[in-house]
Amino acid sequence: MSAASPETARLWEKNAFPRHRIQWCPGCGDFGVLAALKTALVRIGVSPHEVLLVGGIGCSGQTRNYLNGNGFHGTHGGPLGYALGAKMAVPDLTVIALAGDGDTLAIGMESFIHVCRRDPAMTLIMMNNGVYGLTRGQDSPTTGLGQIMEEHTEEHPPFVDPARLAITAGATFVAQSFSGDPKHCAEIYAQAFRHPGFAMVNDFSPCVTYNKFNTSGWYREHSEHIPDGHDASDKAAAWALLDDFDRRGKLPLGVIYRAPRHKKAHARLPVWEEELAGIDPEPMFSVFR
Amino acid sequence: MVVNNLKLLVGGVQLRDAVTTVTDILGKLFMRAGLHVLAMERGYASTIYGAHQFDPLVVSASAPLSYGDDRTDILVALEHDANPDSSIQPNRDTILRHGKNLKEGGVLIYDNSAETVETGELQARGIKVFPLPARRIAQRELKLEVTKNTIVTGALLRLLEFDMDYVLFGAYLEGRFLSKGRGVVDINLEAARRGRAAVEEILSGNGWESVGYRLEPQPSAEPNLLLTGNEAVAMGSILAGCRFYSGYPITPATSILEFLDVHMPRYGGRVLQGQNERESMRAAIGASIAGVRSAVGSSGPGISLKIEELGLAGATETPLVIIDTQRAGPATGMPTKSEQGDLAMAIYAGHGEIPRIVLSAGTIEECYSLAFEAFDLADKYQCPVFLLSDLTLTDGRQNLPQSFFTENQKPIVRHGLVRASDVRGDGYHRFEMTESGISPRSIVGTPDAIFKVSGTEHDETGLITTDPSKRKAIFEKRMRKMQTYLKEDAKPPQVFGSPDGVPLLIGWGSTKMPLLDAQARLRAEGIDTCLIYFTHIWPFPVHLVQPLLRQGSMLIVVEQNYAGQLADVIQQECLVETRRVLKYNGRPFYTADIAGGVRQVLAGGTRVVRVGEEAPDAAIETVPEGD
Repeated sequence: MSAASPETARLWEKNAFPRHRIQWCPGCGDFGVLAALKTALVRIGVSPHEVLLVGGIGCSGQTRNYLNGNGFHGTHGGPLGYALGAKMAVPDLTVIALAGDGDTLAIGMESFIHVCRRDPAMTLIMMNNGVYGLTRGQDSPTTGLGQIMEEHTEEHPPFVDPARLAITAGATFVAQSFSGDPKHCAEIYAQAFRHPGFAMVNDFSPCVTYNKFNTSGWYREHSEHIPDGHDASDKAAAWALLDDFDRRGKLPLGVIYRAPRHKKAHARLPVWEEELAGIDPEPMFSVFR
Repeated sequence: MVVNNLKLLVGGVQLRDAVTTVTDILGKLFMRAGLHVLAMERGYASTIYGAHQFDPLVVSASAPLSYGDDRTDILVALEHDANPDSSIQPNRDTILRHGKNLKEGGVLIYDNSAETVETGELQARGIKVFPLPARRIAQRELKLEVTKNTIVTGALLRLLEFDMDYVLFGAYLEGRFLSKGRGVVDINLEAARRGRAAVEEILSGNGWESVGYRLEPQPSAEPNLLLTGNEAVAMGSILAGCRFYSGYPITPATSILEFLDVHMPRYGGRVLQGQNERESMRAAIGASIAGVRSAVGSSGPGISLKIEELGLAGATETPLVIIDTQRAGPATGMPTKSEQGDLAMAIYAGHGEIPRIVLSAGTIEECYSLAFEAFDLADKYQCPVFLLSDLTLTDGRQNLPQSFFTENQKPIVRHGLVRASDVRGDGYHRFEMTESGISPRSIVGTPDAIFKVSGTEHDETGLITTDPSKRKAIFEKRMRKMQTYLKEDAKPPQVFGSPDGVPLLIGWGSTKMPLLDAQARLRAEGIDTCLIYFTHIWPFPVHLVQPLLRQGSMLIVVEQNYAGQLADVIQQECLVETRRVLKYNGRPFYTADIAGGVRQVLAGGTRVVRVGEEAPDAAIETVPEGD
């Protein structure tokens, strides 16, 4: 990765070829994510061909179509799995999964936990709107954020906290952002892309059509940037920060937890004929003689 | 005296007695002496410890056609004491289970450390009995219980008058144990001598000069390899260029994962044990879109879980090899028993329709050679390719000349991959419309050939669409690949014998060897048949099959499942009537099952013959004509 240059900026300004009509509702929070993504990708200086954007099912999954870069779009709950395989194959690739809260925390929950544990050097931007938008407003695992509920029933259990879950499962970079502040988002994303392990960004991205509670205004009122003095490398401090913000009824925005990690580098897997030619079977034969 | 032709069966308590350690040692020794070794029915249970386990080993001068039936020449019972968990004394268990199949004049050798078993009935049938207190000798004299099986091995070598100077056995022990020190080799050699001494004593006590069986080394010009079907698939996959494999432990596919985990890194590849079946499939798809030849392996229950991703691989035109080591279903079925029950799933599973190719291996040779084809076809047609095998093959072992593997190691050709130099400007479309249906494939990291791929319906650029004409065009493009396959790569079934005017025996999978054996047996009785054997099953090559089928007098499909799944495919594709010989009790087809079933069909009055273990030479249930 090189630094930002006008050339990479130009490449990222180009939309996917050919231009795809954006299908999000007017005012959708995902526009902010899209803008921040472009800025962050330019900032870290990667070209579109060096990036794989893996989309989830739902509104979030559309993002990969609205900007340049290789894109793959699979099954519901699947993005992290494809991303993992691609990253294992091409370690230099910048792999970014763009998935929603349902995709990640409902059907994709075990995938999420195990990717946290494996800690591959890739990023998940979870576009969290607290609702199933594309299927018109059903509960998601993060529904109920900030709402006072008299009692939780089986039909409406309490919401999942992705940040706590990611830290528990072993993710080495856990951050939150609000898509209404694309500048801050871009800063967080760039840090996530540069992180040498699994980076989870819980991005609050309001659904203007189906989530009438967690609106942009609500997020502005109920979120705060993490203070400068926070030591993200200290896991106890990360927990204390989450608890402190909870007590105050606020959502922390910024890097909550970041573990230093030294991944064992491995080579790109062989692809081309010349890389696969001249295979010597003798080491395998000798086992069977 | 029977020379170089016997079936030996070793039985014992699973895990505790290390049954396959004995057969593995013997198999390697016999192979190194130039003899042919075949162990195709490995009897084990879905428990870790304590169940009955057995492993028959056929040894012969020339390559055996099949494991024949369950008639045994030499029975080895490794158990040594009463199993407290069993109401039946386990020693008697092995002897009771397999003693009845001992041939007249056969040999029984058993561990009588705990007690001596009453074997008068067997002796009355002319069977020579060798009680051998192997465990007691190992514990009390050698002070090392694990040597008990080496004592048995030494006894067997003496009985068979084979490698009496321990040249082969000593070399084997050195290869296996020298790294642990000379002492380990020496104590095992000593154990073998104790086994021999015990046998000498019984021989002279009974006034027997020999037991009537002998193995004589045959000079062999070249080295042989003794391996299982799974090992053949795994080795073939590496040599075919597979560099990413992911799987989730499941019987009987796990040994592929284990083999590749050890050997793949040497060739620059990586293996992932996914946290479940679906994740394994997704990771393999991810590696494949990155351009790597990748594969997943599983068995029926795991393949069921992968079906969602199978549809995705088809819709996104992602090359992927799926190895299905079939076991008895449905649901969890019988994890350690064999069946050919997944053909319909491989051909039809998934919502909507996708292009896919289904190959099926019938021998350990084909496990190896079809691996090359599977990866090549997946690459060329950019679709999922099933490589089916079944438990009989996956765990079965056979020696094959090393030259077979080198001669069948095919060069790797990457089809249709776009190189950076091939691309001009922004003109790259991942799903470009072509006459063959195959579009040039860009791999990640190629400048100017950025791809957009989606499982949601898309146009040729890869962007989502529901436009009726675009949908129709892209669907037809995808499926057109199968027409190209039928023209360029489909293979006709293998034909053994002349199909003219005779009944056609039709089969697929691990029944190949018993089918050939049964064909020979029927011919000896004056019943001429022709064997039509399928390896390339889907898309079904009607144009190559129909002319063949028309020549026969009757079609008899032999399969290890309840319905007759290949028979259904043939009826549906070729519009011909089939008769069926079916077996699904978990045991493999024996030659006698097939010969008996075919006789019954030919005698008339039966359309479907269902055979079982209890009456191997006769049908236990038949469906009359017109049912």
